[in-house]
Amino acid sequence: MTTDTYRVRMTGICKRYHPIQTLDNVSLTLKPGEVLGLVGDNGAGKSTLSKVLSGAVIPDSGTIEIDGKVVSFASPADARAAHVEMVYQDLSLCDTVDVAGNLFLGREPRRHVLGMPLLDKKTMHALTRDMLDRLGIVIADTRLKVENLSGGQRQSIAIGRAASFEPKVLIMDEPTAALAVAEVEAVLELIRAVSARGVSVILITHRLQDLFLVCDRIQVMYEGRNVAERRIEDTSIEEVVNLIVGRKFAARSAHNGHETGASA
Amino acid sequence: MTMPTSQTGHAGSHVSQARLRKATLWDKLLANGSVVSIALFFLVVCVVFSLVTNAFLTAPNLLNIVRQSAPLLIVAAAMTFVITTGGIDLSVGSVLALVATLSATALQAGLPWPLVIVMMLALGAFIGAIHGFFIAYERIPAFIVTLAGLSVIRGIALLITGGYSIPIETTSLFTTIGRAWFLGIPVPALIALCILALAYVVFNDTPFGRYVTGIGANMEAVRRAGIDTRFTILFVYILSSVSAALAGVILAARLGSGSSNAGQGFELEVIAAVVLGGTSLFGGRGTIVGTVLGALTVAVIANGLILAHMSPFLTPIVTGTIILIAVWLNFRLFRGAVRGK
Repeated sequence: MTTDTYRVRMTGICKRYHPIQTLDNVSLTLKPGEVLGLVGDNGAGKSTLSKVLSGAVIPDSGTIEIDGKVVSFASPADARAAHVEMVYQDLSLCDTVDVAGNLFLGREPRRHVLGMPLLDKKTMHALTRDMLDRLGIVIADTRLKVENLSGGQRQSIAIGRAASFEPKVLIMDEPTAALAVAEVEAVLELIRAVSARGVSVILITHRLQDLFLVCDRIQVMYEGRNVAERRIEDTSIEEVVNLIVGRKFAARSAHNGHETGASA
Repeated sequence: MTMPTSQTGHAGSHVSQARLRKATLWDKLLANGSVVSIALFFLVVCVVFSLVTNAFLTAPNLLNIVRQSAPLLIVAAAMTFVITTGGIDLSVGSVLALVATLSATALQAGLPWPLVIVMMLALGAFIGAIHGFFIAYERIPAFIVTLAGLSVIRGIALLITGGYSIPIETTSLFTTIGRAWFLGIPVPALIALCILALAYVVFNDTPFGRYVTGIGANMEAVRRAGIDTRFTILFVYILSSVSAALAGVILAARLGSGSSNAGQGFELEVIAAVVLGGTSLFGGRGTIVGTVLGALTVAVIANGLILAHMSPFLTPIVTGTIILIAVWLNFRLFRGAVRGK
């Protein structure tokens, strides 16, 4: 296999927070347009690994390649310059600003009247409507303030905003946590729409049934190490649960989960 | 244009259009609740004084109110920006006093009046930049920085004048800024009107105004969007000090003297007007229209009580009570002004 077929290739990533080896020789690969599910119990190192890729954490050792080029991220700005975007729901939205304002924060369309830069609200709302429709995000009015939206709509706006920066890689940490059922569906649909546009997605979640709905591949982490990687069609929810907890475990939740996943 | 309704907080592709009803008048009122409640207060106060006194509802009196409240209106407009970022500027009364005394001193020294005005506005910008530097770049709470400013700047004004007030030649063109009438309207009122219109446009229709609101709501999000949040905050304090300097010029011109004791408690009057108007002290929510109504309400109460031959000492009592009731109504009825994040 050649390296240039990978959008992201992380190899031998180690990170120690005294005295815990949070990441121990971890690897991760991601192809263009692929959706990778990153799972593991709390403290398995998935969030730290995603932070390494998004530049928020600097690893002790290991290499990161993007499109075959070795990169080193000293800050989230570096990662962003390499088109790696991370979705932070509550860190990326201004509650008292409307939907369009949030999507275009920092790059508002402008018109000049007497030399004064004014917001071109008409263009902004029209572009927002386009963007929402293209990504299948359902929001009645782009003039709604974000604080009046549901958790799922807020999450969709945060993802839509990140997606609009034309990223190569989009990292989402628990995008479906604490969402209503219909909202989870909407967010998963959005993830499919984004990956169909060629964006590689890393999805970190505890909701295993979601993985089977959107992921191409699952990578399981256990105590800071990679323990398994499965193509979605080769595995089952029972197997993933066993891999996560690190032993053979006839989990009832796995059976229930499988049913939920199958019927959803 | 459809207005936002507060009932559309449902997600997903499953919500049928039928559940998204058109915004009713009530929805619009609720969405602008803080402005509506202060508008009601303003109307009630005006009606009461019109009935109780004969002199209140006359053109000369109303123009006089606007003329006298011009400094309040101007500084309150700038303070709306400051408070919307989640900050506060306590130094505006002291800046006003310093500028009033310095402009009188400069005119006495024979400097031409246009130069004096430019120098005073530049002084305001300089003071605001110092405040902004400590607040935005050194991350010292705005309350503390501007409290220090309040003390130091008033002290400088007292030191320069030795506590005496300095007269301005009434023949000087400088006094026209405070005393002249143009097209039947007092010049201070015209200046205030221009500043308010400008503030309204900047607050609602420019990227800068948008970032001011954004910083108050979620500064980290605005910073991540690539905006220089520190400079934006610094600039907001420059605006407030420049507006205080302009207010000082107008006051000195109207009174024909510069007193180091001018504007005692002015900062509290300004903050009261802004909060009364529905701008949230937590930041993220501000309204220029509300601020104008808030400032006019404060001004009308002071004027009306005097016309009604009541003790002028009732003014702070009534103003304070109305602030509490108005903000309480906002909080209970409209869930607007005081709601946290």
